[in-house]
Amino acid sequence: MSFSRRNFMIATGVVAASSTVLTACGGSGGGSSSGGDAPKVTGSKTMDIPVGTKADSTGPAPEVAGATKGGTIYSLEQFDMDHLDPAQIYVSTEGAITVPIMRGLTGYKIDEKGGVTLVGDAATDAGTSKDGGKTWSFTLKDGLKWEDGSAVTTDDVRHTFERLFASFITEGPRYVQQWLEGGEKYKGPYDGKSLSSVEVDGKTVTFRLNEPRGDFNYTLAMRGYALVPKKHDTKEKYDKRPFSCGPYKIASRSIGKSLTYTRNPHWDPKTDAIRNNYPDKYVFEFGFQPLAATDRYIADKGNDQYAVPIFNEVAAERIAQVLTNATLKKRVLTQVDTVTYYWPINTTRIKDVKVRQAINWAWPHQQLQTIRGGASTSEIATTILSPVTPGYEKFDLYGTTKKPGGDPAKAKALLKEAGKVGQKLVIAYQQSDNAVKQAVAIKNALEAAGFTVVNKQIDKSTFYTQIGKIDNGYDLFAAGWSPDWPNGYSVFYPCWSGENIGDGRSNYAQLDDTSVNKAINTAATITDSEKANKAWGAVDRQVMELAPVVPDYHSIRNWMYGSKVGNVVYDAGNTCVALCKVYVKK
Amino acid sequence: MPRFLARRVLGALVILLIISAITFWLFYAIPRDPAMMSCGKNCTPENLAQIRRNLGIDEPITFQYWHWLVGVFAGRDYGGYGYCDAPCLGYSFANREPVFGTIMDRLPLTLSLAFGAAVVFLIAGIGAGMIAAVKQGKALDKIASSVSLLGSSLQIYFVGYIAMYFLVAKVGVLSQPSYTPITENPAAWFSGLLLPWLVLSIIFTANYTRMTRSQLVEQLSEDYVRTARAKGLSQWNVFFRFAWRGAMGPIVTVFGIDLGTLIGGAIITESVFSLQGIGRLALQSVDQSDLPMLLGVTLLSAGAIVFFNIAVDAVYALIDPRIRLA
Amino acid sequence: MTSTEQQPFLSVRDLKVHFSTEDGVVKAVDGLSFDLAKGQTLGIVGESGSGKSVTNLTILGLHDRHRTAIDGEILLDGTDLLTSTERQLERLRGNKMAMIFQDALASLSPYHTVGTQISEVYRKHTGASKRESRTRAVEMLRRVGIPQPDIRVDDYPHQFSGGMRQRAMIAMALVCDPELLIADEPTTALDVTVQAQIMDLLKDLQQEFGTAIVFITHDLGVIADIADDVLVMYGGRCVERGTKQEVLRNPQHPYTLGLLSSMPSLEGSVDVPLNPIPGSPPSLLNPPSGCRFHPRCAFAEKVPGGLCSTERPALDVVDGRGSACHLPMDQREEFFADFAGSRHH
Repeated sequence: MSFSRRNFMIATGVVAASSTVLTACGGSGGGSSSGGDAPKVTGSKTMDIPVGTKADSTGPAPEVAGATKGGTIYSLEQFDMDHLDPAQIYVSTEGAITVPIMRGLTGYKIDEKGGVTLVGDAATDAGTSKDGGKTWSFTLKDGLKWEDGSAVTTDDVRHTFERLFASFITEGPRYVQQWLEGGEKYKGPYDGKSLSSVEVDGKTVTFRLNEPRGDFNYTLAMRGYALVPKKHDTKEKYDKRPFSCGPYKIASRSIGKSLTYTRNPHWDPKTDAIRNNYPDKYVFEFGFQPLAATDRYIADKGNDQYAVPIFNEVAAERIAQVLTNATLKKRVLTQVDTVTYYWPINTTRIKDVKVRQAINWAWPHQQLQTIRGGASTSEIATTILSPVTPGYEKFDLYGTTKKPGGDPAKAKALLKEAGKVGQKLVIAYQQSDNAVKQAVAIKNALEAAGFTVVNKQIDKSTFYTQIGKIDNGYDLFAAGWSPDWPNGYSVFYPCWSGENIGDGRSNYAQLDDTSVNKAINTAATITDSEKANKAWGAVDRQVMELAPVVPDYHSIRNWMYGSKVGNVVYDAGNTCVALCKVYVKK
Repeated sequence: MPRFLARRVLGALVILLIISAITFWLFYAIPRDPAMMSCGKNCTPENLAQIRRNLGIDEPITFQYWHWLVGVFAGRDYGGYGYCDAPCLGYSFANREPVFGTIMDRLPLTLSLAFGAAVVFLIAGIGAGMIAAVKQGKALDKIASSVSLLGSSLQIYFVGYIAMYFLVAKVGVLSQPSYTPITENPAAWFSGLLLPWLVLSIIFTANYTRMTRSQLVEQLSEDYVRTARAKGLSQWNVFFRFAWRGAMGPIVTVFGIDLGTLIGGAIITESVFSLQGIGRLALQSVDQSDLPMLLGVTLLSAGAIVFFNIAVDAVYALIDPRIRLA
Repeated sequence: MTSTEQQPFLSVRDLKVHFSTEDGVVKAVDGLSFDLAKGQTLGIVGESGSGKSVTNLTILGLHDRHRTAIDGEILLDGTDLLTSTERQLERLRGNKMAMIFQDALASLSPYHTVGTQISEVYRKHTGASKRESRTRAVEMLRRVGIPQPDIRVDDYPHQFSGGMRQRAMIAMALVCDPELLIADEPTTALDVTVQAQIMDLLKDLQQEFGTAIVFITHDLGVIADIADDVLVMYGGRCVERGTKQEVLRNPQHPYTLGLLSSMPSLEGSVDVPLNPIPGSPPSLLNPPSGCRFHPRCAFAEKVPGGLCSTERPALDVVDGRGSACHLPMDQREEFFADFAGSRHH
């Protein structure tokens, strides 16, 4: 049983927190409830998240059909948020729960059909770039107000980005800090100094970057870059009580136990294209294990009828019961995740492409899926990108679809060709019951293909430190990644660019291929999202041809909610339930 | 008595000091870096170093321990997070909340849970044990003994979910487990904790039934109990003032240990019933490598056990005049 | 007093006490009868397991009712104790009849002060106030010779010496001036000086209150000191009874003879070896047939036809004197003299 969110993040394979990584907890954390008879989610539609126009960015948000105002939305969550200072937010639950109270310059708008667009949130549009993406400008909307009625100013915007450099800000994303010109020497605004690369002119804020960033406006949609009022910045203490400029504000908070939002009277719906504000109140309650929460969702009594999930999914113990019961299944939101769990192959140790390909051919995808709990909680992966990450292109280079249990004959032939029959493989994985079972299945499959396998269990508290070392002594290890914003760059640069090799970096395979590096850098500069997406799909295939990794699976999340909650939809931009779209059914 | 207390309290402080030191060193005995927990994707060495500085774990362990210790007795300045008054147990690595405050916030629930369950399992366990002892060898004895045995073999995470499903969700005779401070609404406090009390006490009741029965059976055959009867005292009087008095000692001892353990948190019960007590806090602090919280909770648990040990000795002396406290 | 002359104060008639245990039925007392008049002392002698203690617990009704089958009659001043209810017995215990137990340390409650333990009896039976009963307890302690009784009354038994505990025990038994006192080896655990003091104390008290005393012991020396009549028990049965002089000077049963021989004689030479009875006490679960003493009896073969192992010898009592032995009366003197003679070799 996994009791901790952080522990879980590590356990499932992504260093620190990204939205999706959190999710598989309920699904794959528990054990082997059979998902065999549960419906599969394969072939889920691929996502495209384009940049919207100024009109798209203009409020109010489109009304949800049938929605009415009033009532209270509840939640039965496992953990309270450790951080509410946006600059400290990297974890998806913290991101999701702050959507109703925090606004960034850009954000994701969900339309009536579930389509998602990047639009201006506090800004009038999704920004304009010059110099091939090195200079970005955003203009603040009129009528934006903080919860005390004071106006949101460009000074606040500048302060928001300057304070990212303060020494107490350590947990949020660090992209913008690295890209802003002069950022490497800047120590934050609290000693009176300002950062010259964030320019303010009237209602417009301009960012000067040290490299072209075509997707800078996507980066800014991360919750980590939500606005902070200069006047009410309490520095370290802001983490406990952030100031709102969204439709709701924090009414009360009992840390570790509950968090309550009430309406923010100073918020003007005309300034907001993203958020509806149907419920009067949100009451988030914490301390519910997935199993306890699932049982309460199933029972659907009292306030639980008005509950929506943020982190807690249907518990593994109940997944079969819930998904095979038509009445219960109606109250489940099922969504493939942006995370891909995979097994990087250490390319500094396994240098022969054919050997790496042989591992891919031999991989026992199906057995591993069964051990994880079946097709209701995970979808077999053949690519690095998830089906829901824009840029995803479906391909299958190593016969996974045809032989999901592996093709040892083909693998053996490749090994023979390379003259490497009997190749020794040291496989590292984190200690857990499921991991041990999976390691055995992998060992059997690879040995059938002619490898000699040595399995090494590593304590989960040090797992990522160990595999993150350049000289780690392992050939193959369990890891995973989910993008920080929905495009290929945020997958391929951190994990597959030779520029990102180093201790503690996420290019675990240590792949340093000139043509791949070049392809990543080229795709990163494409500003047209459609073209860029095509380019990233090609990068995916290019990397997979070199076989520095075995894609294992994409997790499937099953969120259950109360019977009196309307319009529970997925926010593909923030990869969570869209809290600002739900309403209380009358 | 005052000398006894002074001596024991002093001893307890020494024990707690040793436990805190051991916990500190054990925490770092396995290669572990709490800073990694706070370091996001693409964790750069500079960022990691900054986090270490912020958490105060860039110093050698001995220094860290010394600063922590000074904080406990004299308070400590945490810069932007504010001054932490003595007894300062530091700030959580995970959410930068004061450890002392968090523990104090969770403690009322754990105390309510522990003492409430204790009332239930003492009444049920001792009651059943007394009946069994009086009705030795008879049907009632056998029923009491087998029911308690059955109870002890059940698991909380099994009984708990079943009980919730039937009693709360299906029949609705009990309310959804929750915690309301007794000062706020005693009725809600009681109804919210009733089910957890009942379920938690299941695993304890059996032990007390067995112990009460065997202690009483033994005491009832003691000479002094026979003497009391020979004096013409009523059976009731003989049972409670003599036999039960003698049987109480070992029960009080075990009760002290149980209560001490429960104050350290009933992890499974708290999890099953979604209650936010010390047990969950302890578990979470382990998972998050949250050293200050872990230390705080460890000290609380150890302190509770040590405290109840002293209390048991004191109570023992009240029960049995042959025991002298010094 | 007059009534007791026609009818004895305590009268036990054909008492049978059988326990059921997992291994079978234990015949702890198997047909016992005796009488005791007021102001008299009956000494009951026997090895451990002979049924003497069980008899007395049964008189007080302290036996385990669920496991014990009782037959016969115990009359105390005309009241049948065996048919009395627990309530009725509670009113008699500690009041009209009291008992002094052997091991005062174990028999006094360690959890209550000596004073409390004495005064609660008094309160229970007289309805006296707390203060009155405390005064009474102090008085009782003074009477049994506890120094500074007004202070020691608040002590716990463990703060008393062994002799003082026994005195306290006696004080507790006598606090309601009982008419029947049963003393179960009250001096066994004590050294000789204290033993003598306590014996004197009992005698004094008896003179003062005219108490009837049943004195249980395995020590014939003590019997010689205190008893008027003697009853010898073996294997749950009475084997011999009579006055102290009769039984000790002129034993009629081989077992009594054996007991006397196994005791050092004050008159005899120190060099004379003691002559313990061979063998061990009988199992009451599976007692020997016939005369229960026959496996250990030096004279069993002298009885023709193996009668000793087949037939229970009758106890014929004439004027309170009797013994249960198949050996013909006229032969006993001769055999016993030989036995005594052999002792001197």
